[in-house]
Amino acid sequence: MRIEEHPILSFKKGPKVRFTFDGKTYEGYEDEPIAAALHAAGVRTLGHSHKLGRPRGFYCAIGNCSSCLMVVNGEPNVRVCVEKLKDGMVVETQKGKGDLR
Amino acid sequence: MLEKTGIATEQDLAGIMPPKERLAQGPVAVIECFQRIPCNPCYTACKRGAIQEFEDINDRPVIDVDKCNGCGICISNCPGLSIFVIDETYSDTEALVKIPYEFLPLPEEGTFITALDREGKAVCRAKVHKVLNSKAQDKTPVVSLIVPKEFSMVVRCFSIDDFYSDNTIICRCEEITLGQVRELIRKGYRSLDEIKRISRAGMGPCQGRTCRQLIMQEIAAATGVKMGEQRMSTFRPPAKPIKLGALLGGDDHE
Amino acid sequence: MKKTEIVVVGGGPAGLSAAINAASLGAKVTVFDRNSQLGGQLVKQTHMFFGSQKQYASIRGVDIADILTNELMKYKDNIEIHTDSTVIGMYEDGMLTVEQDGKYMKIKPQSVIVTTGASEKFLTFPNNDLPGIYGAGAVQTLMNVYGVAPGDSVLMIGAGNIGLIVSYQLMQAGIKVKAIIDAAPKIGGYLVHASKIRRMGVPIMTSYTVKYAHGTEKLEKVTIWRLDEKWQPMPGTELDIEADVMCISVGLSPLAELLWQIGCDMKFVPELGGHVPVRNEELETSMKGIYVAGDVAGVEEASAAMVEGRLAGLCAAKNLGYTSDQFDALKADYLDQLNALRSGPVGEKIRKGLDQLVG
Repeated sequence: MRIEEHPILSFKKGPKVRFTFDGKTYEGYEDEPIAAALHAAGVRTLGHSHKLGRPRGFYCAIGNCSSCLMVVNGEPNVRVCVEKLKDGMVVETQKGKGDLR
Repeated sequence: MLEKTGIATEQDLAGIMPPKERLAQGPVAVIECFQRIPCNPCYTACKRGAIQEFEDINDRPVIDVDKCNGCGICISNCPGLSIFVIDETYSDTEALVKIPYEFLPLPEEGTFITALDREGKAVCRAKVHKVLNSKAQDKTPVVSLIVPKEFSMVVRCFSIDDFYSDNTIICRCEEITLGQVRELIRKGYRSLDEIKRISRAGMGPCQGRTCRQLIMQEIAAATGVKMGEQRMSTFRPPAKPIKLGALLGGDDHE
Repeated sequence: MKKTEIVVVGGGPAGLSAAINAASLGAKVTVFDRNSQLGGQLVKQTHMFFGSQKQYASIRGVDIADILTNELMKYKDNIEIHTDSTVIGMYEDGMLTVEQDGKYMKIKPQSVIVTTGASEKFLTFPNNDLPGIYGAGAVQTLMNVYGVAPGDSVLMIGAGNIGLIVSYQLMQAGIKVKAIIDAAPKIGGYLVHASKIRRMGVPIMTSYTVKYAHGTEKLEKVTIWRLDEKWQPMPGTELDIEADVMCISVGLSPLAELLWQIGCDMKFVPELGGHVPVRNEELETSMKGIYVAGDVAGVEEASAAMVEGRLAGLCAAKNLGYTSDQFDALKADYLDQLNALRSGPVGEKIRKGLDQLVG
C-alpha cells in the first residue's frame, strides 16, 4: 500500500515501470528498491530459507541483513531491499542458495 | 506514572499549572515538559522573554506567566510537542485549548471533533475554533478547540473520528448538525422551541418531521428531562408544504 | 588508485559535519556513502530535533539533511562525493577499497574519518524470522523514503527514542500502532515523545516482552507477556495482539567492522552500544590519522553526532596542516557543546560509557 498523503513529507517518485515477479506482472516506480515495489503490491514473503524452508521477508531494508535475497534478471543472491527497480525486470523467488546460469 | 506509561500524573501537573488568577486574565502557555533533557528551543522561540534563560541546556523550562501573553509561538517550536496554550476567557463556560497536531487530515474550522485526554481517552466533544498552519508553524499546525471550561486542563489531543457523531446532520432542511444542537443545549437552550428559533432546525419544508424527535432525544440525554415531559413546540398550519395558489383557490373567502 | 587527503566514510549527520569542517579549512575531502542520497538516517526523521540552535534544534531531521548537504556544496572545490559507494576494506598501509556500481576501487588518503553509524540490535523469540517482523530502520526507510506503508497495524517493541519516534511516524503515515511494549520497567526515550503518542491513545506497556510470533507465511499475531522485577516472564500474563507488522527497536550497536579490520583498539562498552574504538579527545583512534565520529564511536543522539563530526573534521584537517587561528576556540566550543548535550540525567549512560574510553 502506498502512502498517498503525509503531513511532513512529499515523496519523489520515478516514472512508473512494469516488472514481473514469478511470472506475474507488477507495477512500481523506477529506482525504488525492488522490495519496496513488491511490498507496495502486498508481497511480504520474498522467498524461503535454503535449509529449513522458512518464509523470508526483508528485515533491515538497508542492505545489512541479506534476508531478502532473490533472483533478478537471472542473477541469484540479489539484495532486493537495495537493488533499484528498472523497467522490464524479471524478479523470481530464489530456490536454495541460487545457481549461476 | 509518567515514566511507565507516558501519562503525566496529578503531581507532575500540580507543579506547572498557571495560577487561577492568571488563567482568569487570558491565554497562557502551559509547558508539560517534566524531564531534564538537552533541549532549549522554547527559550529561543519566545520573543517576550517569558521563558527563563537556561543555565544548563538540560534545565526544565520555567515560564513567567506574567510575561507570557499566550501568543503560542512556542507551541510549534517545541520538538517534544509538549506546549499548549489555554484561554479560559473564551466564554463564561468554555475555554480554548491550543494543541500542536502533525497529522492528516487536519480538522476543519467550525466542525466538531472528539477531544482526548493525556491517555487518548475521549473526554468530550469539542468545536474546532481555528487551525493555524502557516509558514510560522512549519508543518506543526496549531489547532484550537473550544471545550467546556472544566476540561481545559484535561483535553490535550483530539481524534478526527466523530466519536460523538457531532457532524451528523440532524435537520436536513436547514443542515443543522447534532454538534450544533448539543452546543445550544450546553448554552442553556433547553426546549424544542428555543432550539428551533435560535437555529432554524425544524423550520424548513418538512416542518420538523425529521428532526423533532432527534432534538428531543438530545435534550433528554443532556438534561435528563424525559421526552414525554418536555414541552412540545407550537404547531401552526399548513401542516405540509402547499402552493400559494391552493390558498387563493379556496371556497371560503370572506 | 586514487589519492586524496581525507576520506570520510559515511555521509550521515557525523560524516557531513566532518566533511564540511575539513573542506572549509582547505583539505581535499572525499566522501563515500552507500546510499543514493546523502544524509544517512536524517532523511527519515520527520520530527524536530532536540538540543540547541547550534545543533539545529527545532528543525526536522529531513530538513537538517538538506541544510548540511547545501553547506557542504559551498566547498565543492575541495569535495568529491561518491554515493552508491560502499567502503568494504581498510588496510594497515592506509589503503581503502570501495565497491561502486559493481566495480572495485582503491583509494589512499592521508587520513580517514570513519562515520559509519550503527546497526540495529535484534531479539530472540520463537518465529522471530517471520516476514512482517522488521527493524525500526526498515520501517522508516520503507515509509519515509519510499512512501510505502509497512502494513496495517503495528506492534512496536522498544520504548526508547527510536521506538517512540517511529511509532509516531507510523501514525503520521496513517498506520495503526496497536501498542508499544518494552521489557524495561521504565520508558527509555524522552517522556515528551512518550506523552505525545500516549495522548493519541496508544498504550505504552513497560515490563512486557514478546513470547511468541504467530503466522505461517507472514506475521499474523503476537503473544506478549509480563516480566517481574527480576525480568523473568510471568506465566498467566499472556496477551495476544493482532498485528501484521512487528517493529523491533531494541537499540543500536556501532557499525565498526572497518575499524576492526585496520586494527584499532576496541573496547566493549555496553553503555555505548557494544564495541567502540578507543580514541582521544580529538576523536583520533589508536591508529594515527584514523578518526571516528557519530554512532560508530558510541551510540547517542544525532545532535551529538553532528558536533562530533565537526570536531573530528577540524582535528583531522589540522593534523594535515590545515588550520585557522580559530582552532582552539572552535575545539573548545565543540567540547562544550558535547558536554552540555551529555550533562543531564539522560546523558548519564553516555558519560559512564565515555569515562571508560577517553584517556
